[in-house]
Amino acid sequence: MTAVWSVALITFKEGIKNRVIFGIFIIALLLFAATTVVITLFMRDIVKVAVDLSLSTVSFAGLLTLLFIGVNLFGKDLDKRTIYMVISRPISRSEYLLGKFLGIVLLALTVVVFLGLMSAVPVILSKRFYYYSEARFDWMIYFIAVIYIFIKLAVVSAVITLFASFTSNSFIALVLSLVTYIIGQSTEGVKLLMASKVEKIDVSPALSYMAEIAYYVFPNISAFDLKTQAAHGLSIGPSYIIWTSLYAVFYIVIALSIGVLAFRRREFP
Amino acid sequence: MDIISFDKITKDYKTGFRKKKTALKDFSLDIVEGEVFGFLGPNGAGKSTAIKILLNLIFPTAGKAEILGKDVGDKGIRKFVGYLPENPYFYDYLNPVELLKFAGKTSGMDSFKIKERTEELLNTVGLWNERKRAIRSYSKGMVQRTGLALALIHDPKVVILDEPMTGLDPIGRRQVIDLILKLKSEGKTVFFSSHILEDIERVCDRIGILVNGVLRRVIDFKNEQLIKSLEDTFIEEVDKAGGLQ
Repeated sequence: MTAVWSVALITFKEGIKNRVIFGIFIIALLLFAATTVVITLFMRDIVKVAVDLSLSTVSFAGLLTLLFIGVNLFGKDLDKRTIYMVISRPISRSEYLLGKFLGIVLLALTVVVFLGLMSAVPVILSKRFYYYSEARFDWMIYFIAVIYIFIKLAVVSAVITLFASFTSNSFIALVLSLVTYIIGQSTEGVKLLMASKVEKIDVSPALSYMAEIAYYVFPNISAFDLKTQAAHGLSIGPSYIIWTSLYAVFYIVIALSIGVLAFRRREFP
Repeated sequence: MDIISFDKITKDYKTGFRKKKTALKDFSLDIVEGEVFGFLGPNGAGKSTAIKILLNLIFPTAGKAEILGKDVGDKGIRKFVGYLPENPYFYDYLNPVELLKFAGKTSGMDSFKIKERTEELLNTVGLWNERKRAIRSYSKGMVQRTGLALALIHDPKVVILDEPMTGLDPIGRRQVIDLILKLKSEGKTVFFSSHILEDIERVCDRIGILVNGVLRRVIDFKNEQLIKSLEDTFIEEVDKAGGLQ
């Protein structure tokens, strides 16, 4: 465990000191400021708009962190062979991979905690612009949505770890992770659309089968998107929380297990 | 006692579909305790391949490599091994103290010992005053010296250095030579590769000449007097092997 934790810490330190992260924080803070300005243009549902934009900003910044820093933290190790310094120590390949994953997750956690708290500012301001209270807004649901952004980023981190375990360079890992994210966001929608059996749309069984496979293979990213619930103050049932959390854990374990299996036999010439 | 042992190692690299290149061919070598062994060979001879097999960075196609009597796949033995890769590259945004802390922790050292060794080693390699600077601002020689400190932080029994003189100025080279001599006086086993024949001759007990993946000759300086210079002997071995392939 010391080995995994040591790799995680050094990964986190390298990531948090990267200048790109300051750029991401600045972009996020500018977007929060822009949200505060933009919401004044709306006549109604001002809190809903603020919640939606604020949560989107946290999610966007987290994703940027993972794609530009997280992928790079793996990429540099493998492309520039920094990994020699790590696995020439009493650290197995599996411990290295798990430590790297944990380090990237810690980075995502830092981003979500910092920006999640900052994101409350536009929401608080939006509540003050109008005197009437929007009864359905609930801070509890808002912060559950923030936690779900973190869970989503942890799943994306596992996907990045999986791709980094067998791809030969970081660019391929970046493209594959991004494609997985995009597909993962729409699989549920596509599956629901096909299941709805809308008239006039004739879906071939093969296509339907492919959509079904994609639904199970790619992570269902949209399941972690609770912006609508937070914006409208809709309650989130405990069963939803339990099942989506279990789904995330299950997906992470599967992705990391495949990654570890691939990485165990990987050579670094 | 054999500290390092290569037993009939062959290593093939795939270079394309159904194509392969043999980097090491039936390579056997034993290095005993307290010995300084120099690995000599032209570029692409297979020196780094042999070293990487020892560190379990790559796996042999055939044969077996051992350190301290245990298979190199056993991660536990790396607690006793210090390694400096060729052209090392470390984490850009960290400083050497943070790197050494990581290296010490993963080698099972306690925090007090890590601090003590960090100060000692950074002073030895001349980086103590620069210790708070991120590695990305370091020159090539400074990175190399950081690598040396990293290889030695846990006071390993076996020190494996891949081209340790690369990128160093004459003073840096001298420091490395002195360091190897110091390790030798402490009874450590040192296995290193280099192109600089003069340095190899000065510090090694034995040298091995590797050409095209085949160990052509092992020279024991204690028992063997070279008739020709090491340079001529080396070139002769390369020629005998049919030149570089």
